[in-house]
Amino acid sequence: MSFFDNLTSAFHLVANLESFLALAGGILIGVIAGAIPGMSATMAVALTLPFTFAMQPITGILLLLGVYKGGIFGGSIPAILIKTPGTPASSATILDGYPMAENGQAGKALGMALYASCTADLISNLSLILFAGWLASFALSFGPPEFFTLILFSLTIIAGVSGDSLIKGLLAAVFGLLLATVGLDLVYGTNRFNFNNANLMGGLNFIAVLIGLFAIPEILAYVWRPKSDTEQVRALGEQHVTFAEYRRCFRTIIRGSFIGVFLGSIPGIGAAPAAFLSYSEARRRSPNKKNFGKGEIEGVAASEAGNNGVAGATLIPLLALGVPGDVITAIIIGAFMVHGLQPGPMMFVANANIIYALFLGLIISSVLLFFIGGFAIKMFRYIADVPTSVLMPGVLILCVYGVYAVNNNVFDIIVMFAMGWLGYFMLRNDIPAAPFLIAFILGPLLEDNFRQAMLMSNGSAHILFRSWITWFFWGATMLTIAALIKTGLSARSDAAEALHATSRE
Amino acid sequence: MMKDLGRLRNAAVLGLATLAAGVSAFVVTEARAEYPERPITLVIAYGPGGATDISGRTLSVPLGKIIPQPVLVVNRAGAGGATGAVSVRDAAADGYTMMVSRVGTHTVNPAMKATLPYKLEEFDEVGVYEINPVACAVKADSDIKSMDDLIAKIKAAPKTVSYSSSGVGSLLHIAGAMAAREFGVENPVEELIHIPLKGGGAAATAVLAGTATFICTNSSALASFVANKQLRPLMVTTKEPVPGFDAPTAADLGKPNLHQLVGWSGIGAPKGLPAEVKEKWRGWMKEATSDKEFLDAMGKRGSVIQLMSPEESADFIQKQYNVFKKLVDDLGMRIEG
Repeated sequence: MSFFDNLTSAFHLVANLESFLALAGGILIGVIAGAIPGMSATMAVALTLPFTFAMQPITGILLLLGVYKGGIFGGSIPAILIKTPGTPASSATILDGYPMAENGQAGKALGMALYASCTADLISNLSLILFAGWLASFALSFGPPEFFTLILFSLTIIAGVSGDSLIKGLLAAVFGLLLATVGLDLVYGTNRFNFNNANLMGGLNFIAVLIGLFAIPEILAYVWRPKSDTEQVRALGEQHVTFAEYRRCFRTIIRGSFIGVFLGSIPGIGAAPAAFLSYSEARRRSPNKKNFGKGEIEGVAASEAGNNGVAGATLIPLLALGVPGDVITAIIIGAFMVHGLQPGPMMFVANANIIYALFLGLIISSVLLFFIGGFAIKMFRYIADVPTSVLMPGVLILCVYGVYAVNNNVFDIIVMFAMGWLGYFMLRNDIPAAPFLIAFILGPLLEDNFRQAMLMSNGSAHILFRSWITWFFWGATMLTIAALIKTGLSARSDAAEALHATSRE
Repeated sequence: MMKDLGRLRNAAVLGLATLAAGVSAFVVTEARAEYPERPITLVIAYGPGGATDISGRTLSVPLGKIIPQPVLVVNRAGAGGATGAVSVRDAAADGYTMMVSRVGTHTVNPAMKATLPYKLEEFDEVGVYEINPVACAVKADSDIKSMDDLIAKIKAAPKTVSYSSSGVGSLLHIAGAMAAREFGVENPVEELIHIPLKGGGAAATAVLAGTATFICTNSSALASFVANKQLRPLMVTTKEPVPGFDAPTAADLGKPNLHQLVGWSGIGAPKGLPAEVKEKWRGWMKEATSDKEFLDAMGKRGSVIQLMSPEESADFIQKQYNVFKKLVDDLGMRIEG
């Protein structure tokens, strides 16, 4: 079959009511599931999977993709409104989204999240269609040494989200790294810091830590001193994103999308690091650097572009190599196989019409996400109107249920509250929570890849310099650290000069 | 006032009567109680989307039609399945908490981990329903064309050939060592490099990316790579050839011991499951595993559906456990601490 034959047959596969309904329904399910804390996009996709067995292959797969994309966007809604990320991918959205909601700009933050998400989604899908082959071969040149250097570079993000005090940021990061070591040792399988408790053998549940760290301290702070001024109803934030604001954030969105595409095409990284990397790049280059973390709309745009840029790109290794990039695509591979389709290079030959139909469906999904997401925002935005005294207990119940639902384990709720008190302590002492979280996400990746690399080379450090990719990230890491030291020093000499000046007066 | 009191008394009498009726109704149902009278929880000790999860959820579809009460499938993942297994062991053995037992939780982990918080004897088995053949494979452009080539390479330069697994104490971990040993590598722990990764997908990708030399895992995990000619299968461990795998069987290669090296899923329960509950499940499993859609979905994923009776299952699991335990003892692979 020629290209055009495939395209026409793909049109016939997609251009029917069922496919559209599957996509739209999937996105709606995903947005709602993503918006419920603890109900991650992964769970939503896993729960939808059995329903697709009876469908046509393309309808079933489009349904799952819809849930996936909707879920990643949906996570931003509670992140902005109640400081509780619906999915791990949206944890970076909290940093500026929640302060915006506090300033009465919830509507604007949600709107920007949607625009950034849809733009990134479109770019991600186009990258999949145009560069799948090239990016896939790039992805396969990532072994443990390359991963290690990439993660090392990503850890420099910590400096960007530390706020005013780098020392406090590093302190939080070290603590995050420490808690990430709880569980089973990767190489020897031995117990680490689990005090013979079977619940700790699996490590601390990621979602429990996430929700505990961000949502619970807000509730505790409110219980501690229910100030009358917080009782005020926050403004609904009727303002919409203006075109000027979108244009101002456009470069950031594009950059974030491509960061998402690159990290998404490499199996095993996931959307949360992409969102953080995009956020820190945006902050580094923005003229409004100072405003980041205090409700900067560009920050919301950056993190949402980063995590949605991943959504299409994870399909690159899936379709081009048959390799699942994350847990969600691993489930989607299952859906392919149930229908007798084998993702991988041969699929472009054997079932090219299905591939083209998927591409068409993906492009349509970006458009549908725009409308369904807009509708969801209208529905959810009223949460910003609920008085705090009603909202807080509701959020608490939602958190408890959500964390329990992840693993059906009461222990996770205990972890959430313990992390909540830790988070409250950090909040009171101005220790930022974001470095803690980044270290908690990246720490295990850093350790695992370092140790895998050492196993590969029988303990020789040469392997960490084996390819141009490793050299690139070593260089980038060094440059970032040098820049940090330079700004640190100049800030210090400024301070010293100021001190000198005042003492002279 | 009196009127009020009277009304109050009437209400109290009515309340008591209702309560009594409720209690008697409860007693009656209790006497007639037939399992199951409330929903059954089916625990999956691994995360959503994994082989165990998909297998368990696919089975729960026909089971849900057959069992008169709802079947709630819950994932309780962590620590290589230990968290979920412990939660089931600690549940009452009344047939309302069941689990998808799996090669990892029931034979590999108990054989390998000295500090595992549960033992194989603490579970009853209702029926093994699925067998996953194991295949060993290398990258398609590798100069290794057969198991003999692989072994020759290991012997020529020890500590240069590596195999990937989905983690310490996984089936893949034991499979690579066991296959090499059967083919004459005296001490695979010393002569091979084991690279543990997070999950089966990452393990297969590692071979594709050249991080590891070979992998031995469930054929279903490799099927699409083999079909796409990205990986080359060297052997399958079953007696019969596996469709789509152009490779000799362990029987062809004269290694019958390797027939024990297979993945499987079953339905397990805490120890001491009542006989009538077991009997019920046996009937349900028989019906569910002959469901056409179930057979179709599982067959396409490359698993062999084969329902064993509770006795056969216990026997099969014990035998595999013994083989693994002996290997672990001989090679000093036990995970302590």
